[in-house]
Amino acid sequence: MSYIVQPDVVKYACTCGILKPISNLYFCRHCLEIRCSFCVCHEADSHYCGKCAENLPSSEARLKKNRCGNCFDCPSCHQQLTTRAANVGPKNGEDTKATPRKVFYLLCLLCRWSSRDVGIPDQSAVSGGWPERENVYANRLQEIQDMYKGIVLSDKQQKLEKDKKKQRRYMSFTDRTGITASMLRKRVGLPDVPHPLLKSKPKEPTKAIATEDVEPFLEDLLTQPVNLSLITTMEQRLVQPELQPTTVDKLFPIHKHLSVKRSQRCRSCEHNVSKPEYNPNSIKFKIQLFAYYHIPEVRLITVEPLRAGKVSELLIKFINPTQHQTTVTILPYKVQDDLTLEECKSEIAQQPEEKQSIPVASSQPSSLIHSSLSRQPSITIKPRSVTVPIAASIEVPNNTFILPPRDDAAEYDDSGDTHNIQDDPKLVVWRKSNKAVIRLKIIPESDSKIGDEVVVGFIMQHVYVNTITTVDNKEPQKYEHKIKVFLKLGGLVGNE
Amino acid sequence: MPIYEGIGAITEKLVVVMDIGTAYTKLGFSGEFSPRYILRSEVRCKETGIMRNIRDYKNERDLYDLLVDFLHVLYFKYVLLSPKDRPVVIVESLLCPTVFRETLAKVLFCHYEISMMLVVPSHLVCLASLGIDTALVLDMGFSEAVAIPVCHGLPVIHAWQALPFASQAVHLNLKSMLTTSNTGISNLTEWDLEDIKVRCCFVTPRERSKEFGKPCPSLTVCPDVKYPIQGSRSITIPGKIRETAFEVFFEEDNDHQCMSTMILDAILKVNLDLRLQLAENIVLMGGTVMTPGLKSRLKEELYEQLKNERYSKLKIKVFKFHSPPCKDNYTAWLGGAIYGCTELLGMKGLSRENYLKENRLPDWANMRDNLRTL
Amino acid sequence: MELQDVTYNKSEYVETASGNKVSRQTVLCGSQNIVLQGKVIIQSDAIIRGDLANVRTGRYCIISKEAVIRPPYKKFSKGVAFFPMGVGDHVFVGERSIVNAATVGSYVYIGKNVVIGRRCVLKDCCVIEDNTIIAPETVVPPFTRYGGSPGMEIGSVPECQQDLMIEFTRSYYQHFVPSKLI
Repeated sequence: MSYIVQPDVVKYACTCGILKPISNLYFCRHCLEIRCSFCVCHEADSHYCGKCAENLPSSEARLKKNRCGNCFDCPSCHQQLTTRAANVGPKNGEDTKATPRKVFYLLCLLCRWSSRDVGIPDQSAVSGGWPERENVYANRLQEIQDMYKGIVLSDKQQKLEKDKKKQRRYMSFTDRTGITASMLRKRVGLPDVPHPLLKSKPKEPTKAIATEDVEPFLEDLLTQPVNLSLITTMEQRLVQPELQPTTVDKLFPIHKHLSVKRSQRCRSCEHNVSKPEYNPNSIKFKIQLFAYYHIPEVRLITVEPLRAGKVSELLIKFINPTQHQTTVTILPYKVQDDLTLEECKSEIAQQPEEKQSIPVASSQPSSLIHSSLSRQPSITIKPRSVTVPIAASIEVPNNTFILPPRDDAAEYDDSGDTHNIQDDPKLVVWRKSNKAVIRLKIIPESDSKIGDEVVVGFIMQHVYVNTITTVDNKEPQKYEHKIKVFLKLGGLVGNE
Repeated sequence: MPIYEGIGAITEKLVVVMDIGTAYTKLGFSGEFSPRYILRSEVRCKETGIMRNIRDYKNERDLYDLLVDFLHVLYFKYVLLSPKDRPVVIVESLLCPTVFRETLAKVLFCHYEISMMLVVPSHLVCLASLGIDTALVLDMGFSEAVAIPVCHGLPVIHAWQALPFASQAVHLNLKSMLTTSNTGISNLTEWDLEDIKVRCCFVTPRERSKEFGKPCPSLTVCPDVKYPIQGSRSITIPGKIRETAFEVFFEEDNDHQCMSTMILDAILKVNLDLRLQLAENIVLMGGTVMTPGLKSRLKEELYEQLKNERYSKLKIKVFKFHSPPCKDNYTAWLGGAIYGCTELLGMKGLSRENYLKENRLPDWANMRDNLRTL
Repeated sequence: MELQDVTYNKSEYVETASGNKVSRQTVLCGSQNIVLQGKVIIQSDAIIRGDLANVRTGRYCIISKEAVIRPPYKKFSKGVAFFPMGVGDHVFVGERSIVNAATVGSYVYIGKNVVIGRRCVLKDCCVIEDNTIIAPETVVPPFTRYGGSPGMEIGSVPECQQDLMIEFTRSYYQHFVPSKLI
């Protein structure tokens, strides 16, 4: 179907103004608006290894630097490495009765790189304790980092003290309540406990010493022939940023990088529109508000050859994915409508932003603390105007048509139940269970040239039954939902 | 890379540090000593499916969309964290275009809703890993080489020197030389050229380069290399090209400028009493610096230029170079990572509230942010 | 876009009671080891090597023209052993693709001219793009799109892939009709 193999012919306009096929859209049941991956807030849900499908809690993933402890990637071609077993016989035949020992090594089945190539000793356990390499500069850098931390902290302390002296005249709130530990200490007469890094004066940096010598020119470069298979490529170097080996004998297996499951959240109502299950192998969702399950799907069946200024017939199929009957009305789409719509939308969008700027009064550091504890309301992305060159007009039918609810049992029933719906035969050509094919007439603009892509747009209005029950109303609510649909009909084949 | 690093690593806050370069983006966490990932700064275009460099933008909105997609990949394929309500440290060049940094801030604050952003200039922070505060920093990246002296922790911006002598210049040179020596090869991609440059080419010493300049050079050139291309074909890379691909850096242009004069001109523009100190503290960074032979050649060239009348008044006798405790292509990132784990983030960072109030990013080139220092 | 009808010559295809449509022009070695759960289409010149080990497919699988389904082998010190291969429901295998996987999950789309190396595991809801070569023993996680040679993850798949594949394979089956004699 189109969403997997064919180019996207039918696109829906998301609330944010981006055109996407229905398979990539979400429908927030709480705001009753279309959302897409651009205008929802993505969140990392759970970490897992794509090879061994092991789930890791986020703290462990963080500890392991987002890498799997057991699986490895090939440093040469970046494919997954396989652990291979080999039998090692007893040494020198002195103890012939001993059973052969099993050892394990890593092998890439694509480029045949193996851990033996670079001299990594075979391991006796499957999971390995493969040797890890450390940064040679780690000690020096740790020293420098601590020093900088100390300097900045003492700077901050000095600033605070300055501020304190200024504010001495006013009684602070904490003074009155006297709860904080430092206040208590002051009252008893004990000296304040300084930050551990402040105890000693910040160490003066041990400055690096510049030398006159630089890496000397290697005379070998001029005489030795180059064996390209021994020199690493940029990709091979950059997957190991710390070492960036230049020759292949320094390539070491790379721990496989973890993947993450994402959940998506609507920015305006903070409800999830998609939340996957925890199990990495599962393809089910806890929350799945995909537009594909809520919005009638439009499919192009056929279109007559398009000629500028001439009427062509267009057959499109509507499919109702919901459990409720819906009525579809086709309304004309005008570019001007979109602009006015956008103007009033952007005004609304600005208001929550102003609300946001109220707590600005709080000082900067406090916001850091806040942010980790409480969720701040999201900023809604301003909708963009839809920018599609419409090159054809559509003759909008006067009648509406009904789409019966989806019935899974009907898929296996070939009897062709028509639900006894009275249709306008000019509009509805065919119908079966929750599907209907309608006929539309379109006229490509008379000034378009041969080969021009013809795009038509219309607004589809359908009745959406919201089954969320709130405290106030237990009955499912019916809404009229509008969505813009654009169809790419292909090139113009002829003029008048 | 040791996979476990003790319990201490958990308690600290995770701060993402990124250095979005023209060719490569360095990405990692503060407090670590090397970036976790060095990735090409490109993202798959949604419409066409081909990779697009994020600097090849058509307009601001295009850049916004590119950055949204690019950062999405960074966060959900590599960093694996929700960007929302987390701080970010951005390492950027002082000469970064305003539209780029403004759009990046907009994407980070409005689209990804980060809590705080600290922008640090690459030329300054690269000194952090050395523990010094005065040096002449030459950054040779992809599109240009930029030299800026840093004195007592302050970049002397009026002395900046920038020339388009970096990877791109080498790639262009290499491409034209290869197409003349190999007939029928015209569609070498940027990545092919980079691979040829990295694996085959080097910077030759000064005497040899002089010899090449003569009409009939009397020297034995280094061996040719057969380089496989597009699967079945292969091209020959002559020894001369291998040696001379980088010569563009050292050939003086019409204004008598080249890599060595850049350093000296930058020193010239600085106060008298700092000049000697700068000459004795030269820091080279950027991926191009890692080319074999480049540093020694640059040293040779610097001493050679001193004989020139232009620079005789400098009275410099000796040049000294620093070797940072890391690979040259992520020196700036490492500095950002060191700054990122200090309290500086909370003190100097721009919070989301302030950004939304002001709707702009403080910039050294903007008078509003410079009033205090004037 | 609605699928176009794919017509076939009625005399060429065998339709079983469970709705499998199998071309007579296929090579089904060891057919007693091949289990097709129903509504499976196997098009002309496809090869299924049931003689090596059991091959089981789920419902609504489509094996296109000239595709090869071959159970994977593993080398041991004493020789080679073949392992049974399982294919889930609603799987599409494109033309001239070679599948050597140990398991193919459900709702998997495999494009044209793809090579799936031996003992690969394709989890549910993944897409392998046309002309991809997947290295042996690779695990393709759910909701990923693989492409290139060697195959790498190049993107993600919409979350409603399951329903898209169900719809796709079903409508393919419905549109796979015998040509009418005029």
